[in-house]
Amino acid sequence: MINQPETQDLLTEARQVLLDSVAPELSGERKYQALMVANAMGMAIRELEQREHGQPEQTDRTVRAFLVERSLEATTGDAEEGLARAIREHHLDGADPALRSVLRTLTEARLQINNPRYLKRES
Amino acid sequence: MSALADTFSAFIARQTGARSARVIDFDKLSGGAIQDNFGLTLDLEGGSRPDRQAFVVRQDAPSGVAESLSRSEEFRVLQAAFKAGVTAPEPLWLCEDPEVSGRVFYVMTRAAGSASPRKLVKADFTEEQRRNIVRRLGAELARLHKVRPPQESLKFLALPDPDNAALSRVALYRRYLKEIGEPHPVLEWALNWLEDHAPEPGPTVLCHCDFRTGNYMMNGDELTAVLDWEFAAWSDPGEDLGWLCCRSWRFGADDREVGGIGDKQDLLDGYREASGIDLDPAAVSYWEVMGLVRWAMIALQQARRHMSGEQRSLELALTGRMVAQMEFDLLNQIQELEDGQ
Repeated sequence: MINQPETQDLLTEARQVLLDSVAPELSGERKYQALMVANAMGMAIRELEQREHGQPEQTDRTVRAFLVERSLEATTGDAEEGLARAIREHHLDGADPALRSVLRTLTEARLQINNPRYLKRES
Repeated sequence: MSALADTFSAFIARQTGARSARVIDFDKLSGGAIQDNFGLTLDLEGGSRPDRQAFVVRQDAPSGVAESLSRSEEFRVLQAAFKAGVTAPEPLWLCEDPEVSGRVFYVMTRAAGSASPRKLVKADFTEEQRRNIVRRLGAELARLHKVRPPQESLKFLALPDPDNAALSRVALYRRYLKEIGEPHPVLEWALNWLEDHAPEPGPTVLCHCDFRTGNYMMNGDELTAVLDWEFAAWSDPGEDLGWLCCRSWRFGADDREVGGIGDKQDLLDGYREASGIDLDPAAVSYWEVMGLVRWAMIALQQARRHMSGEQRSLELALTGRMVAQMEFDLLNQIQELEDGQ
């Protein structure tokens, strides 16, 4: 089905109108609301982008591969759920650098959508 | 609005025995989703508080958070804190009769200044002013922490269970995470870390549990009131200091560990001067990590309120998307603490 322009394009344009023309005219609570809407739209745009690049699947594969390497169940169900369960049930060593790296991959993938600027924050 | 102003002013006139009360100013103050705060300035004629008086009326909002105290309980905590010498609004009258305004409310004095965190963090304070503010924050907590259980008027506050505030929190947050029901490997990992690294517990004291920049009023460089007592609990002193220092409450001024205002050593000095107790900075760092987990739990619960349809709200929905930030901070901070050892 052809449906042009793309949703991502529509959202990007709509967000720009909101930020450039609508929000500057507003103040107080209304302005805050407009900025929240722009923020939510920004997340939607970035999520579409990430999906296009197959990023969620790649993150999922990373988690799955880690679980398989540790001989933990990863074939059924959600990989992130499997990882959470394995940690909760103390099947993994919290100090394991590979575990920490997987946790970081997951967190960074979510921040890439929710707040990419936060990734630049000095630690 | 004006009907509500009349209701409150009539109530205050009755309490003070004033012959008349004229409303000079009435407005809804910014506050949380949990309660409504109203500013009310009255000209009172006669009675126990004659002339112009500025009050704040705090009333339950339609939607509450299960874990927070009721208005009546909060009023009693505020009384205890005020009596202990904490710079808090003076609690004046509690009205538990729902016939008066439709909900339970209480009246307190109104402090001057602003609690806006962004304003405070950006303020052009000198180094000496910063030191004094942060020492003062330490001293306020020290005074509050002198209140110890048992207290007849605070018997509704639960004691840590197990008898170790840190492990009690870990158990609570595990329960929350289970109830929330979505996978959060970083939070599970952080909870294990908190369990394995719990410091020797301090004394059990009255904690504010939401003492952070944004919840205390400042008039210039002078602290005028500690606000928002609805999360108060019996806990470890480290919980209040850790929450105040938590990365999430530095509002962009990351290098100023104490709420984006100043340095941790000054906070600990202020605490020691007012209490004679030397708190271990490592324990405060531990409770900062706990603070990140706690804020993540609150954010997840807020998102759930939106998703369940209990309270549809874009603000709550976006708060849910902030959890990744706390998780990112957790990964960094735990690593830093370990590297520093």
